[in-house]
Amino acid sequence: MKKFRLIWVLASLVCIPSLSAYAQSQGDMRLNEYLIVNTTDFQDDFGQHNGWFELFNTSYGTVDIGGCYISNDPDNLKKYIIPKGDVLTKIKPRQHILFWADNQPFRGTFHVNFTLAESDTIYFVASDGRTILDRIEIRKDLPENKSFGRSTDGDGEWGFMDHTSPSTNNSGTDNASKSSVLKEKDPNGLIMTLTAMAVVFTALILLSLIFKLTGTLAIRKHQKNTDEAMAGADKQNVADVAETSSETYAAIAAALHLYIKESEAHDNESFTITLNHTDRSYSPWSSKIYTLRQTPSVKKNNR
Amino acid sequence: MDLIIENISQFFQYTGFANGDWKYLIMILIGLLLIYLAIKKDWEPMLLIPIGFGIIMGNIPLFPGLSVGVYEEGSVLNILYYGVQKGFYPPLIFLGIGAMTDFSSLISNPKLLLIGAAAQFGIFGAYMISLALGFSPAEAGAIGIIGGADGPTAIFLSSRLAPDLMGAIAVSAYSYMALVPVIQPPIMKLLTTKKERLIRMKPPRPVSPTEKKIFPIIGFLLTAFIVPSGIPLLGMLFFGNLLKESGVTRRLAETARGPLVDIVTILIGLTVGCSTQADKFLQPKSVYIFLIGALSFVIATTMGVLFVKFFNLFLKPGNKINPLIGNAGVSAVPDSARVSNNVGLTYDKTNYLLMHAMGPNVAGVIGSAVAAGLLLGFLS
Repeated sequence: MKKFRLIWVLASLVCIPSLSAYAQSQGDMRLNEYLIVNTTDFQDDFGQHNGWFELFNTSYGTVDIGGCYISNDPDNLKKYIIPKGDVLTKIKPRQHILFWADNQPFRGTFHVNFTLAESDTIYFVASDGRTILDRIEIRKDLPENKSFGRSTDGDGEWGFMDHTSPSTNNSGTDNASKSSVLKEKDPNGLIMTLTAMAVVFTALILLSLIFKLTGTLAIRKHQKNTDEAMAGADKQNVADVAETSSETYAAIAAALHLYIKESEAHDNESFTITLNHTDRSYSPWSSKIYTLRQTPSVKKNNR
Repeated sequence: MDLIIENISQFFQYTGFANGDWKYLIMILIGLLLIYLAIKKDWEPMLLIPIGFGIIMGNIPLFPGLSVGVYEEGSVLNILYYGVQKGFYPPLIFLGIGAMTDFSSLISNPKLLLIGAAAQFGIFGAYMISLALGFSPAEAGAIGIIGGADGPTAIFLSSRLAPDLMGAIAVSAYSYMALVPVIQPPIMKLLTTKKERLIRMKPPRPVSPTEKKIFPIIGFLLTAFIVPSGIPLLGMLFFGNLLKESGVTRRLAETARGPLVDIVTILIGLTVGCSTQADKFLQPKSVYIFLIGALSFVIATTMGVLFVKFFNLFLKPGNKINPLIGNAGVSAVPDSARVSNNVGLTYDKTNYLLMHAMGPNVAGVIGSAVAAGLLLGFLS
């Protein structure tokens, strides 16, 4: 019963966080940037200039946003459903996806049925149609062809962007790789070597100290167990000696004497081993001829 | 008649002879050399035979587009190579290593862990040399890991940091691992005095089963919290060891250290060999990699031995460590520990160092996995 209760508690602990999670981490998607009035900026597939907004996958796994909703109406969060089954709705790790707010949903998956000019807030809603995963209030004072977005993709403060960056990093340029930064700051690798060796030594020194401690504890426990066992054995011996009568000892001694005498065993060994060659005479019991199965003979029928 | 000649001519275009090049021939000879060394000299045969044959397989000149080559998408070899590219073969090998390794010598004498740490200087020494020779930091990190003397770790890291150099790095790492009995003894003898070589170490204390069970759990928690990027290697290593020591998963432990590790060794060896196609392998960078690889082994051995000598300055006379086990800090399990033992026996026929050397040897495996995690964290 106790074990069952423990399993139940563990299962509950595992399940509780998952209740708030959404399939394939839709909650990792963030509204990232938007542009309301587009006259000279990015064009859609139809060559049209329209307002747009961008979502960013903050996670390191692919997120399928098919079945999620986008809306500009708090009373109708299911205003636009992102179609399911479109491979393009599977957003790769740390990637962007652009939606056109042109009120022309028949133009494709990424064209929503409202415009930003008529919207106060954009809602990105989970596939349950109720949970708002992200929202952003639309700034009506946004100039033409200017976008408003996060300073860092998926995370930073919202502000006016120097340059629009549909479907690309808001920070403007790609972050320099760690490798190139290291090459610049530590050209001969000395800092890296010292840092890394310090970490390796720290890890192994800690491990060494912990096992020195567990070793000491193990030795103490072993010593304690041994002492207890010895003390217990001594007590038992005293009790046994007290309980054992001299007749018992006499009976054991007599039995041993008789056994040794009858079996001609002796206590003093000569410490000499003699190896004699033994001739094994032939025996059919050890012959392979008698132990192997005979080859069956084929009988020919001459009819 | 013309049609027959045309057919034969067309067929000839598909053959290896028509697409051949002297570079492929050199690679095939290298493959044959590895097979020879494995069979005749018994140098790491479990690895050099699959790699050697893989080199031959990967260097048969091909007519491109037949979906046969290791780099042609969808080919059988390409699918098998996926485990190398995505780096899931090395952790599986670590699972097997964990399931076959007895950490008792390390648990009974935890200070030996530090020798395993000191030997990792080989990795970072090679890293600095690679940078000086003009390699990028990511490439230098991948080359440096050769000094860890751990094939799976070298493949794991190079597949992430420098996939183009992986073939050369893997072949170099395994070749030098096979050459440990040749590389290490002269350095060990050079750096130690006769008196030091005769040091007798205290026999290790018996380790209780509880300590053995606790080791993989604490070992993993501690190292993974410090270097989370090493989780694939460290996690599998300690998990494999827990399977062995728990006492209740005998079948799983046997599978991990037996059939599983054998299967993955075959696949990793063969596909790494196949990946050494002449056009990718035969370049000046490969020569540098081999030179740096040799130096990394020399640095690792030197630092291991010198560290023990330094450590001895702080130890009481009865507790001193024989510096001949310093070389065992480079992982290469159990070859480098065997080298310690053999060199020790040449000076004192009754001084068996094997059990003592196994401590730094397995500490080297942990140390190189930690170092690989660090390099991955810093450079990827």
